[in-house]
Amino acid sequence: MTAFGTLLRQRLRRDRLQLALWLVGTALLAYSSVAAVADTYGSESERSEILQLATASRTILVFRGTPNGPELGAFLFFQIFAWLALMGGLMSTFLVTRHTRAEEEQGRAELIAATPAGRVAPTVATLVLGVLANLALGALVALAFIVGGLEAAGSWVAGAAIAASGIAFVAIGLLAAQLFRTSRGANGAGVAAVVGAYLLRGIGDASGTPSSDLLHVTPAWPSLLSPIGWGQATGAYVENDVAPLMLALGFTAVLVGVVFWLQSVRDQGASLLPGRNGRAAAGPALSNSFGLAWRLNVSTLIAWAVGGAVAGLTASSLSELVAQLGGEAPEIADTLQAALGGGATLEQAFIATFFGIIGVLAACSAVQVGIRARQEEAHGTAEQVLATAVPRTRWLLEYWFVGVIVIVVVLAAAWLAGLAGAATSDGADELVPLISQAALAQLPVSLVFLGLVLLAFVWMPRLTIVLGWVLVGGAAILGTFGPLLGAPDWLTDLSPFTHSPVPTGDDVDWAGGFWMLAIGLVAAALAVASMRRRELTTAG
Amino acid sequence: MTTVISAAGLQKRFGRTVALDGLDLDVQSGEVHGFLGPNGAGKSTTIRILLGLARTSGGTAALFGENPWKHAAELHRRVAYVPGDVSLWPNLTGGEAIDLLARLRGGTGDRAGYAARKQRLLEVFDFDPRKKGRAYSKGNRQKVALIAAFATPAELYILDEPTSGLDPLMEQVFNREIARVAGEGATVLLSSHILSEVEELCDRVSIIRAGKTVESGTLAELRHLTRTEIAFAADGLDPAALAAEIDRIPDAHDLVIDHGRASFTVDSDRVASVLPELTRLEVRALTVSPPSLEELFLRHYGDELTERVAEPVEGARA
Repeated sequence: MTAFGTLLRQRLRRDRLQLALWLVGTALLAYSSVAAVADTYGSESERSEILQLATASRTILVFRGTPNGPELGAFLFFQIFAWLALMGGLMSTFLVTRHTRAEEEQGRAELIAATPAGRVAPTVATLVLGVLANLALGALVALAFIVGGLEAAGSWVAGAAIAASGIAFVAIGLLAAQLFRTSRGANGAGVAAVVGAYLLRGIGDASGTPSSDLLHVTPAWPSLLSPIGWGQATGAYVENDVAPLMLALGFTAVLVGVVFWLQSVRDQGASLLPGRNGRAAAGPALSNSFGLAWRLNVSTLIAWAVGGAVAGLTASSLSELVAQLGGEAPEIADTLQAALGGGATLEQAFIATFFGIIGVLAACSAVQVGIRARQEEAHGTAEQVLATAVPRTRWLLEYWFVGVIVIVVVLAAAWLAGLAGAATSDGADELVPLISQAALAQLPVSLVFLGLVLLAFVWMPRLTIVLGWVLVGGAAILGTFGPLLGAPDWLTDLSPFTHSPVPTGDDVDWAGGFWMLAIGLVAAALAVASMRRRELTTAG
Repeated sequence: MTTVISAAGLQKRFGRTVALDGLDLDVQSGEVHGFLGPNGAGKSTTIRILLGLARTSGGTAALFGENPWKHAAELHRRVAYVPGDVSLWPNLTGGEAIDLLARLRGGTGDRAGYAARKQRLLEVFDFDPRKKGRAYSKGNRQKVALIAAFATPAELYILDEPTSGLDPLMEQVFNREIARVAGEGATVLLSSHILSEVEELCDRVSIIRAGKTVESGTLAELRHLTRTEIAFAADGLDPAALAAEIDRIPDAHDLVIDHGRASFTVDSDRVASVLPELTRLEVRALTVSPPSLEELFLRHYGDELTERVAEPVEGARA
């Protein structure tokens, strides 16, 4: 067995669950979107109307892609390709960092590099694993489309497009691992590259040239700088042109060359961008355990708040457009409203749906605070804090408090951005109370998840991370897609997200909110009280 | 003299694994107490219980006469702790971590005093506080916890293998700091598997094995349990006659005559009774070697060691 083979098998074995989840999850998303699209926009005329609407609005293209005719396959490719490519990109950059910079940072890479395997074989093995994972992803997505009833040739081109853009992100991830000193830095750069590629394509698509019937859009040049844009340029199901994918593979080849050159000139453990020094003494903010909890969560807070602000701005700026549509094309408005569900008017439904997503964001940010507490414990740093004059219960209570602040800031960011977006609109008077109610309505559900993750932390510490994400993810999927996929009421009612109050502008039924507020507070109180009897549970 | 740490019949189970199986530990105020045992003997588990971070499955533990599980936070004001494997916050600098831990311990009330103590320790430990936590080596992470501990006045220092990762020069610095706090009247519990360290620093030691205390006492008390080696030049003496002579000495064992030297061992408290016999034999180049802690240790773990060495190594052919 060569060193390369051993290293590749070790990587496959280490990632078997994680990769399986990424692959199956993305394939399921692909499959369910075929089903949803076929269900919601069954006829070609409906799809044409939606495409024309999207082309006219432009903003929708940022989140979708370029329309390429109303055929079911092409329509689906327009709807979902960029999202699937985004998933593939994140899978790829995380995968690469996990096996390169993270290993180097932990010192494990040194152990391997000191064997005959050397410094290059681990990088090659990571590259090959990344390529294999993306080929599998492409194949699974293609199969999901075919099983969903789309024609085979186009589905394989779509799958190839996803694989090719993912492989380009493998190369970007490898480059980030060379540049940054820490896995945090490399992961951050990787995510920034994937999201940046997504947005670059979004901007290019939105500023593209529409055809006269508004059913096709030729993207502007920024899309052609993005690996996701290259994949989209295949025009799957219509042109089926794989030539743009050569661009992705060429880009990968060049980047891989650069990566191996960089690796050959740097020391093991070193990086091209050196780590910076920090303060020699702690500032006044770091004078108690709350200060520490805050410091450990503030960077995630900022990230979630930016997400909340983007979503809030999108909600209010799109809702104006949707309101216009209600006047111009009532039948499309009805279809949309049926798809969104809830709300007396299309505008209300739209705001409610978007802020529902913001509620999921806020709940996720709360879950991450609970997970941070567990990471502190597993990492061993909580032990040092709890060996000082900080009581266990107070320590956990402070994490709850930080969680509440994080939720409030994320929702406030969404609310303020929403108001800013609404300020320019004609119907601002109606939008302001609607947006305010919608933002406030997400507070209870977020507090429920904060309480639940802390309970998981106290009662099942080793499962905190898995339980936290599974609960919030499962509830979000059940709450948002449950009604769309025709799940029974009792099932969708299990998701706390379905109980968030729905903004209407005047009379709002807040009962669900009060119930969830009570549940969230009780869960948190129970968690803090149980902490009294809870031992430190270290990793392992 | 008051009892600072007392543990009796301490038990701790993790599922089916028994980590502590009736451990006893007594530490009096003002003493530097060595807590000896191989890896996995239960040293860190005991310390976790004493710090109220883990609960006992049986037996009692008291710190300053109080239950550490129930009064953890109040007791911790009087305790400085250095873990065996120090983890740092990746995005905090070493200096920030030191200040944070000292402040959390409540030991920075006297600002100028704390600043001076910290500055002195940063210098003697030769530590750069400006790097981020993730950039430090194991030894440097250890220094963060040591500086934070020694920069705050405490009545009790609990140190879990504190010198693992320190170089010999830094070990000397560490030893001086221990001597300093002990001189100021603090109590120290020093867990270790490095015998020379314990021999140099500790007044009393407890030796544990597989979750039980097997020996406890002052070094002098424990030394009587081991054998002193007596050796002298054997040339000019008839081996057979010599053997017969030595055999007459009570408690003399393991006679070896090799390379012109004769050596035997005798229980340490019987050395004086052997001397007249040696005088009678008019031995030359006499050496009397007192037992080291190494031997003490080997005496308790030697059989385990022999078993391990004797085990066939599986897969050796592969």
